[in-house]
Parts: sequence; C-alpha cells; structure tokens
Amino acid sequence: MLCDKCKKNQAKVYYTEIINGEKKEQHLCEDCALEYTSFSMGSGMSNQEITLGSLLSSILGNYAAPGSLHGAEQTEKEPVCDHCGMTYSEFLKEGRFGCADCYDSFKKGLEKSLRNIQGSDTHTGKKPKGFESGTEKIVKELSEIDKLSIKLQDAIEKEEFEEAARLRDRIRQLKKEEINNA
Amino acid sequence: MLKWYKEIGKNNDVVISSRVRLARNLKSFPFSAKLNEEQALELVENLKAATPVLESKSEKKFYSCNIDGLTDSEKTAMVERHIISPLLLAREQSTGLILSEDERISIMLNEEDHLRIQSITGGMNIMGAFAEANAADDVASELFDYAYHEKYGYLTSCPTNVGTGLRASYMMFLPALNVTGKIVKLAEELSQYGIALRGTYGEASKSVGNLYQISNQKTLGSTEREIIESLNRIVEQVMKQERRYREYILTHNYDEFEDKVHRSFGVLKYAKQLSSSDAMTLLSQVKLGIDLELLHLEDDCNVHELMMEIQPGNLQCLLDKNMGSAQRDRFRADYIREKLPDMV
Ligand SMILES: [Zn+2]
Ligand SMILES: [Zn+2]
Repeated sequence: MLCDKCKKNQAKVYYTEIINGEKKEQHLCEDCALEYTSFSMGSGMSNQEITLGSLLSSILGNYAAPGSLHGAEQTEKEPVCDHCGMTYSEFLKEGRFGCADCYDSFKKGLEKSLRNIQGSDTHTGKKPKGFESGTEKIVKELSEIDKLSIKLQDAIEKEEFEEAARLRDRIRQLKKEEINNA
Repeated sequence: MLKWYKEIGKNNDVVISSRVRLARNLKSFPFSAKLNEEQALELVENLKAATPVLESKSEKKFYSCNIDGLTDSEKTAMVERHIISPLLLAREQSTGLILSEDERISIMLNEEDHLRIQSITGGMNIMGAFAEANAADDVASELFDYAYHEKYGYLTSCPTNVGTGLRASYMMFLPALNVTGKIVKLAEELSQYGIALRGTYGEASKSVGNLYQISNQKTLGSTEREIIESLNRIVEQVMKQERRYREYILTHNYDEFEDKVHRSFGVLKYAKQLSSSDAMTLLSQVKLGIDLELLHLEDDCNVHELMMEIQPGNLQCLLDKNMGSAQRDRFRADYIREKLPDMV
C-alpha cells in the first residue's frame, strides 16, 4: 500500500487519529510519519498530544511484531512495569509513562521509537549535580592503589618511564602503609 | 525588578520574548498518569517547600500557592501572561505554582511532569532565560532526587520531552510574513528542522495580533547549548525574512500602509468598545507602525505589555470586579485610550 500523504513510498505505519471524536485512519511511510510527528509534537494542546500518542503506538507496534499492524496489543506476555503497574498497551494508548522505572520496563522497542521521535536515543546534555554514571561509580569504588595501577599500566604503554617509575614507587609506599596499618 | 513583559529587549521589533522550560520528575513519585490524589497533594506540598530555598539562593522574592486557591480570573490572567499553561488548569489532581515576584521564573507543580521550571525574558535573550531556569533547576536537584537515567537523561512523562526536558521558545511578532501569506510555508519548512511554529494566542496558522511561537521539538541527543544555538540560527533567519518583507511592504505600499497604521491608531484612540481580538489586531498595526517609524508617539509605548493587559482575564484582575463582556469591551477601550500616548 502506498503512503496516504506523499503517495510515493510504501506505507509502513498504520496510524489512527481521533480528533473531536472523529476517527481518521491513515497509512504513512516512515518519512511522512516522522514529519507528522515532529510537526505535532509538544504543543501542549490535547488533540495533538493524542495524535502523537497513537503515532507512537503504531511505531512501537510495528517494531514489536513486524508484519502485523496491531501486533503489540496481541503479544501474549505483555510487558508490565513492576513498579507502577502500567502495562505496555496502556503505555501505547496514553503515550505516557507511569513512572521512572517504565523506561526500563518497556526498554524493548523503546530505543527504536525514541530514535524515530527524537532522532536519537542517548542523552548528551546536563546531568543533575552529584549524579554518577555506572562507570564513574566503579571508578570511585576503586582503591587508590587500583587507580594508580591503571595509571601505571597506561604510562608503560605510552613508554613514559619516568612517570611509570614514580607511580611504581607511590604504589609500593601505599602497600607498605597498608601493611603497617593492618 | 521589572516584570519581564515590561522590559524592552534586544531585537524587540521582531522578537517579543524568550522562554525556556525544563521538565523534571521526582524518582519517588509515580508520573502524572499513575499518581493518585493523595500522592498528588503530598507531591505539591513537598515541592512547595523549595520556595524559601529558592529565595535564599537568589535575590528574588518567590511565592507559592495551590492552584485551587486562585480565583478564575487570576487563573485566566496567569495563562494569558504565560505564567502557567492551560493544561495545569485542566488537571483534575492537585496542582501548584511557585512564582518569582518579577514573574520571570515560574515552576508549575504537578502539570504533565512533577516540575515544569520556566523562565521568560523580554526580547531575544534565550541564554539569559536558560541561565535563570538552570539555576532554579540546580536548587531543586539538590532538594529532590530526580528521575534521571544514565542513557535517556531526565525522564519525563511523555517520550517527546525526555533527555534535556528542554523546550526553548521565542515569541515572535511576524506581521509582514503573515500578511504576505508566508507563515504556513514557513511553518512547514521549520518542521523539517525540528522546529515548530504556531500562534501564541489561538491555533497554528491563525494567530491573534501576529504573535507566533517558535520552539525546538527534539529534546534528546543534543546538549542544551546545541538545542538553543540551532534554534537561534533559525530565529535569526526568520527575523531577517520578516524584516525583508517589512522593507518590501514599505517600498511598495507605503501610502496604503501608512494610512492603515494611522487608522488603527485612530480607532484605538476613539473607540468606545473594543473586543479583545479587534484590539489585538489594531495594536499589532500600531506596534508595526512604531517599529517602522510610520507613527511617532509622544512617549515610549510598550505595545506588547498593552496586548497582554487587555486580555480578558488580566483586564478582569485590573478592575478587580466581575464584568460582562460588553462592560469589559468598554473598559478595554477606556484602558487603551488612557495608556496609548498621543501622536506627536
Ligand atoms: Zn509518505
Ligand atoms: Zn512504571
């Protein structure tokens, strides 16, 4: 089937919109669907929010079960968020998450749909003050000796032998202190 | 400090104001779709406790309130002044507001997200607005544990806000682009860059008073600075086009245009009744006339401030008593007549 909007590309997204109680059905290609989304996003007006919600659901539905247009709602074991109890189909219907944990509960398919809606699935902006990422946490839990050992390895690889010698001495000293303290 | 809309800012002939909004949620409460009334009330009360801290960390006075405590005309007036969104009023659960005295910073409590931190400045100064919202965000993030995801960033109720949670928007005065019929085309073009253009009062292509809002759509994948910078580049282009069309109108239809501006001024000065949409159209003509130096007034006049004050809710608050619409139209005409300086 061809896209209802551009009438050129193959329609991939089946899309239902309800405006003032009237149901309108459209088949859109990915390009047109994307354009439609970016155009109707974030207006704060409820009609357009509904549009987005159902568009999101059709995108998600498509990825969940290729070949079936309403696949997501029919899959047997539907994901449920353990924390707030929101079901996946409820999320698709509302286009709203129930809680912070929903993002991980509905992870499957979410990244693709985020890429569709947002053009990306990874945040690169501000972090809350004091926020530590997983790697930062691991680094923080390393002992001083572990950290110095990593640096030592690095210095040897870069053939910075003076620095390596300095690090080696520092590690020896710390180990000695550790033994004395114990 | 001046309320933001009394301030005449940079590029004020085209850019009326700059606004930034940050959507934030607390980890410990469900999002609005799953929040029960008891939790909603608790959430609002918890969040209101940020008020004294905000005050101590800035040199501003802040108020807080529950939205149920406001009168209908106060609520309407706040929507008209862009302090709160219509959605906040439409919510069935408890909602609240923290507002700085100068009305530059407002924090909606329990709108679609737990916190919607907003900052507005006059003219083209979105970085200034961002700095203020960002500072308030830092204060809040120290008081509350935000829902933040290592990969997805700030988690929001709707996937369209996730990441930075940032919506940056300019309120633009685009009479020439509108009158030459370029607005719809422009809106289509901008949407391809992930930028939305819509009417400030009223819907997409129909805007009262030639006021339009231009804002970013995507919130995930770019930094706050990148989002703002790309919006700025586009707004610069829109500004250039608007000025070019104004130039065009001036060179091709000077007499007709001058006549129109002066007629509008005449009606505003002598009418006995003015509906808000008529007044907006006429004020828009007068603003353009002043910007293009077709109309010279005895004193400076902030037309946009007037546009805001003559909205029904604000007018109601000014008069401090209930009015019927005919009475309001009469009061509006009196108010404008008095506020609008005479011609030189
Ligand atoms: Zn298409
Ligand atoms: Zn959940």
